[in-house]
Amino acid sequence: MGIITVLWEKWVEFRRDFYKITVAAMISPLMYLIIFGMGIQTTSHGEPYLHFLIPGIVSMSTMTGSFSAIAQNMSVQRLYEKALDQVMVSPTPLWQYIAGQILGGSLRGLYAGGVILLLTLPIRTDLVFNALSVLILFLNGMVFSTIALTLSFLAKSYTDAPRYTAYIITPMSFLCNTFFSADQMPNGFRQVISLLPLSQTSSMIRSIANEEPPGAFGFIVLLIYLAVFALISTAFIYKKKNL
Amino acid sequence: MIELDHLTKRFGGFTAVDDLSLTVNTGEFFGLLGPNGAGKTTTISMISTVLLPTSGEIRVDGAVLDRKASSEKRKLSVITQEYSMRQDMTMDEVMEYQGRLYKMPIKTIREKTGELFDFADLGDYRRRTVRHLSGGMKRKLMICRALLVEPEILLLDEPTAGMDALSRRQMWNLLRQVNGQKRTIILTTHYIEEAEALCGRVALINKGRLQKLDTPSALIEELGSFAVDETGEKGLVSRYFKDRSEAIDYLSDAGDNASLRMTTLEDVFVECAGRKIT
Repeated sequence: MGIITVLWEKWVEFRRDFYKITVAAMISPLMYLIIFGMGIQTTSHGEPYLHFLIPGIVSMSTMTGSFSAIAQNMSVQRLYEKALDQVMVSPTPLWQYIAGQILGGSLRGLYAGGVILLLTLPIRTDLVFNALSVLILFLNGMVFSTIALTLSFLAKSYTDAPRYTAYIITPMSFLCNTFFSADQMPNGFRQVISLLPLSQTSSMIRSIANEEPPGAFGFIVLLIYLAVFALISTAFIYKKKNL
Repeated sequence: MIELDHLTKRFGGFTAVDDLSLTVNTGEFFGLLGPNGAGKTTTISMISTVLLPTSGEIRVDGAVLDRKASSEKRKLSVITQEYSMRQDMTMDEVMEYQGRLYKMPIKTIREKTGELFDFADLGDYRRRTVRHLSGGMKRKLMICRALLVEPEILLLDEPTAGMDALSRRQMWNLLRQVNGQKRTIILTTHYIEEAEALCGRVALINKGRLQKLDTPSALIEELGSFAVDETGEKGLVSRYFKDRSEAIDYLSDAGDNASLRMTTLEDVFVECAGRKIT
């Protein structure tokens, strides 16, 4: 099965770069936690700000972990190493290759989120993270893996990957319910921001953390993003004339 | 059997391959020759489905070859001109990845990898990552990778580029063995003597169009089997004669600056492309 082959490839990559991947997953979120959560000690809705921040940071980590695992790698493989050619000529069905990338990217995102959760364990917050949280974070990782795949197929140079991070991931990190509630945004802007996948993930993870039901709307938004970008990336790999 | 049927590939306003039609028979050792930019690599890339044709189609044993055609792609393996491999994988991992992509059992992958590495003299380096290999070793690894899956059709795009003379001769012997197992080989090369030594038939292409297609000996015969090289004000000029006595007559009139030799496939090439191929 092609999916297993891609997951094996991702495992080889993870095993080799374990320390680099782990440190990279930790640094930015840890800085945010220290600066905003512990350095600038504020409250939000009568609770310590850290209680608001941790679910957002964990969601953000799954996004950046999944996106960077795919965007950088696929761009280099397609444009610089030409390693994608090996896949294209092989009998592995290309939809399985895409599915493997999405799952592999999502697992990397989940790992990044898990590392942050572990780091926050010593902080007594009473926040709840359960199997549903894991499912939502996994879904979030899948969404950002498919977005990364789509952008990788559009990239004209392997240096485009950092640009995509600057244009998409960095603004989402700051605007989408991570550090402050999107409800505080001006009208119009608020509605747009709230429809972005990270806003929905953060919102659902925060609801679960506070022992509230996450609601179905967020799932629907994430599933729509996943379906749209999975279809686009699959269409690219089958139909793009000059891959 | 591979059929290229009115194959055309355009990149914007540039036509890299222009209405190319030819058939490569099962078990044939077929050469695709042409100057730089002739469209050889583009043709190989279309056969390996990395590029899709602008028009026309490719058929493998009668079935249309496209990116969905898994059973047709199972018959193919390619050695590209560039080192198309994950640079951060070890040689063992590159082979295992290839075997897995072709759904081979892990045990078989490991056994065959050992055999191929022994054959290619790579056994001592199998845990080395690709980025730490020399150019020649990377080339050998790509050949091992292509042969691992025992393809019915082997596509070779400049397979011996960057190899020393000894390695190149070893490679020729290997390719003869592979072809001897009734496997089809399509080879592009800049080394004309390589095509002459190995290929049963060659297609000469220039500016994306098929110029000539025949056996090397027939192409040489068509041009004239005897060549007289004459050095004059315009540099070296070659004239070709079908008959040896005609060539000798011309030589005797030409004086000291001329010499007689047998025509080679490179001469056919030069005449066809209008410039020397190196």
